[in-house]
Amino acid sequence: MTDNDFSREDTIGGVTRRQVLRGALGSGAVLSAGALLAACGSSGNSSSSSASSSAGSGASSGPIKAGGAISVGATGGGAKDTIDAHLPTADPDIMRCWNLYEPLAVRPPDFGPLQMMVAESLEPEHGKANSWIVKLRPGVEFHNGKTVAPEDVIFSLQRILDPKNPKVGAASIGYIDIKNIKKVSSSEIRIPLKIANATFPDDIGQYFNAIVPVGYDPAKPVGTGAFMYGSFTPGQQSVFKKFPNYWQSGKPYADQLTIIDFTDDTARVNALLGGQVLAVDNLPSGQIAQVQGTSGLKVLISQTGEWQPFTMRVDQAPFSDARVRQAMRLIVNRPQMVEQVLSGQGRIANDMYSPFDPAYDSSLPQRHQDVEQAKSLLKQAGHSGLAVQLTTAPVFQGIVQAAEVFAQQASAAGVTVKLQKLDSGTFYGSNYLKWTLAQDFWATREYLPQVAQGSLPSSPFNECHWADPTFIKYINEARATLDQTKRNEILRQAETIEYNSGGYIIPYFSNQIDAYSDKLTGFVEAKSGFPLGNYWFKNVGFKA
Amino acid sequence: MTTFLLRRVLLGLLTLFLVSIVVFAATQALPGNAAVAILGRNATPARVAALSRQLHLDRSVVSQYTHWLGGIVSGNLGTSAATQQPVSHLISARILNSAFLVIVSAIIAVPLSIALGVWMAVRRDKPADHILSTTTLALASLPDFVIGLALALLLATNVAHVFPAVSIVPPGEHAWNVPKAVVLPALTLIIAVTPYISRIMRASMIEVLESEYVTMARLKGLPNRTVIWRHAVPNAIVPAIQVSALQLAYMAGGVVLVEYVFSFPGIGAQLVDSVGNRDIPVVQALAIIIAAVYVVVNLVADLLTIVVTPRLRTAGR
Repeated sequence: MTDNDFSREDTIGGVTRRQVLRGALGSGAVLSAGALLAACGSSGNSSSSSASSSAGSGASSGPIKAGGAISVGATGGGAKDTIDAHLPTADPDIMRCWNLYEPLAVRPPDFGPLQMMVAESLEPEHGKANSWIVKLRPGVEFHNGKTVAPEDVIFSLQRILDPKNPKVGAASIGYIDIKNIKKVSSSEIRIPLKIANATFPDDIGQYFNAIVPVGYDPAKPVGTGAFMYGSFTPGQQSVFKKFPNYWQSGKPYADQLTIIDFTDDTARVNALLGGQVLAVDNLPSGQIAQVQGTSGLKVLISQTGEWQPFTMRVDQAPFSDARVRQAMRLIVNRPQMVEQVLSGQGRIANDMYSPFDPAYDSSLPQRHQDVEQAKSLLKQAGHSGLAVQLTTAPVFQGIVQAAEVFAQQASAAGVTVKLQKLDSGTFYGSNYLKWTLAQDFWATREYLPQVAQGSLPSSPFNECHWADPTFIKYINEARATLDQTKRNEILRQAETIEYNSGGYIIPYFSNQIDAYSDKLTGFVEAKSGFPLGNYWFKNVGFKA
Repeated sequence: MTTFLLRRVLLGLLTLFLVSIVVFAATQALPGNAAVAILGRNATPARVAALSRQLHLDRSVVSQYTHWLGGIVSGNLGTSAATQQPVSHLISARILNSAFLVIVSAIIAVPLSIALGVWMAVRRDKPADHILSTTTLALASLPDFVIGLALALLLATNVAHVFPAVSIVPPGEHAWNVPKAVVLPALTLIIAVTPYISRIMRASMIEVLESEYVTMARLKGLPNRTVIWRHAVPNAIVPAIQVSALQLAYMAGGVVLVEYVFSFPGIGAQLVDSVGNRDIPVVQALAIIIAAVYVVVNLVADLLTIVVTPRLRTAGR
């Protein structure tokens, strides 16, 4: 959905776009020691959270009984809905993918160590980060009864990286040396890379890099997920049935899962209030109180690593001067922004991303609004009375409001921020990734995979045109370093450069808010930012 | 009469042709194309190029239009850019759902509002008339989606749980097989159009009731019922027919918002979606269909007007 000439559309555009981000740019997280351990088959310790300690609320637990049909309201969707394992874009697509298909490995809802799915392990070959061995979990079956074989993995990766029709995952695993990928044994595959990358498991461990059987046809979708295809009508609903031979025994609990599209937020919430669906994702923060006040309904709030930065082009005046960038970062009143833009549903950030990464440097001082300092920096840079244009569009919920609040806060520092409000179609048009000062939104991701997406000259979404040579040197060094402690030390140096002179203003991390009927249980908070606990309805069922 | 009909049909076709050009031009003016719209955030140059080729967006605007027009003339609505399915396949079920919603609403709303208008006129300046006049005026000034949301609040979510808050029609089913799903959207449309028709009917009825031939009929001692329904109503109804036609035509387009509020699987939701997707073949098809409803409904209203007006009926004979 892109256009938004109607105001109602804005919400749709926004939410869909948000989901797009999750889909497309999701490229996991730096593999922590714990993750490597888990990857090797031992039980991993819990990964990471250095930035935030407090949890969200509203998770449910308790005995679950088998059986029953679950219906869920998904955000957005329309004629271009897809059930293709490798092309999820809108929220309902993503929900379908998480339930029908599985990748080799994936981050669980708590964003802990990478959880092995179709793979049993994912290890560097000969202790080098430029070639990896995938060992398949024995006996994982596709919905058509066939057992997953190395050929299926090779076919899936070739399909994702097809140069004529690159899929969503191509942006994050494009460095795979696809021509030399080989079956090593009846259960092992060697994946050579064109670069060394210690965090390769996180790049490939994304829900949209699902393993599908050789000859996969999206018209008859087959995967290894806990639910199997029943029916699919774009823009309306999909019905999935329990996959009885799912590899995780005892799951799923429910016999049937129905995903219903809702283009309108109010309709989605009304369907929950009226009992037509048992869960909805992306509850608007304005409706938390109403849902909480309704008996039989629960609100699920998850603290995530999702961020919505302002992006300053470091190669264009006035932001080519690092002092101007610092001044802009000092202008922001972060707590006020969380309050006014997110209705309090978020926590302040420090112009750095990937808060759950063990490499996240929480020792760097929290930046606070400092108008005097900002004014003096601007004066030194010869930009007193600075006037800039901020390009904004309803591409994610709250973004346009954030721009408005920012403009207001800037005027207090004598900086004029003129808003250029576009519809999302224009925003993503020919000037996309070229705006001097604009906004963006990103999913929870660990540091190196995020850098690959947005902070290198080779990144597909480098909106700040960030190309600091020292930074690049550190990143390349870290990528080749398999030892996590050493790697994190290098990464902290890279982070410090971004903290001191990067092009992002990151005011906050936003919460994920969902809601469900208390007839159901098994929902967990999702630091990952994927609603309703990674949409994993295999973990959800009716209360016993 | 035949000449009149023929001329109107030809004019109607010309209107539809012009509408198709305007809609096509308007969709071209929208920034971005279907490829960018479908990819959105993932609109990296490589993927945009691949998809544009696949969707034939690399052809010229004129060639895209003539290709589409050629298809229409031979009864082919083209292929949807977003789904790669035939447009006719994509929209047929939704057209039937929307048509059912509009027709049900009209069948209830038109007679109801005419009766209401007559009743108000007969009770002119009595409390009942004042209350109804004020109520209809207030309702007429409310946007459709406000009425829809208020109904959902009252009858589906907060106050009472009588009807479903959203219209979930399982794919493959038609709306008439799920009557519950139609209740709230239909009620919204009825409440939205009734005020206009009933107020026009009241005004025109009052005028007729004051005319000399009605006084004459009353003086002849005809029963009140006969005076109203045999003498007054047939003469007062012409403006109501015209305004009913306008309201019906309005419903065909206004159904968009109502469907949106209730997630009703009709053309409204699809139109909004297609504009967002820059799915020009679908937008064109739906715009033409809505325009055709306008043309046909107005034509039918004019014919009805002629039928109920002896002066016009006999003219030209």
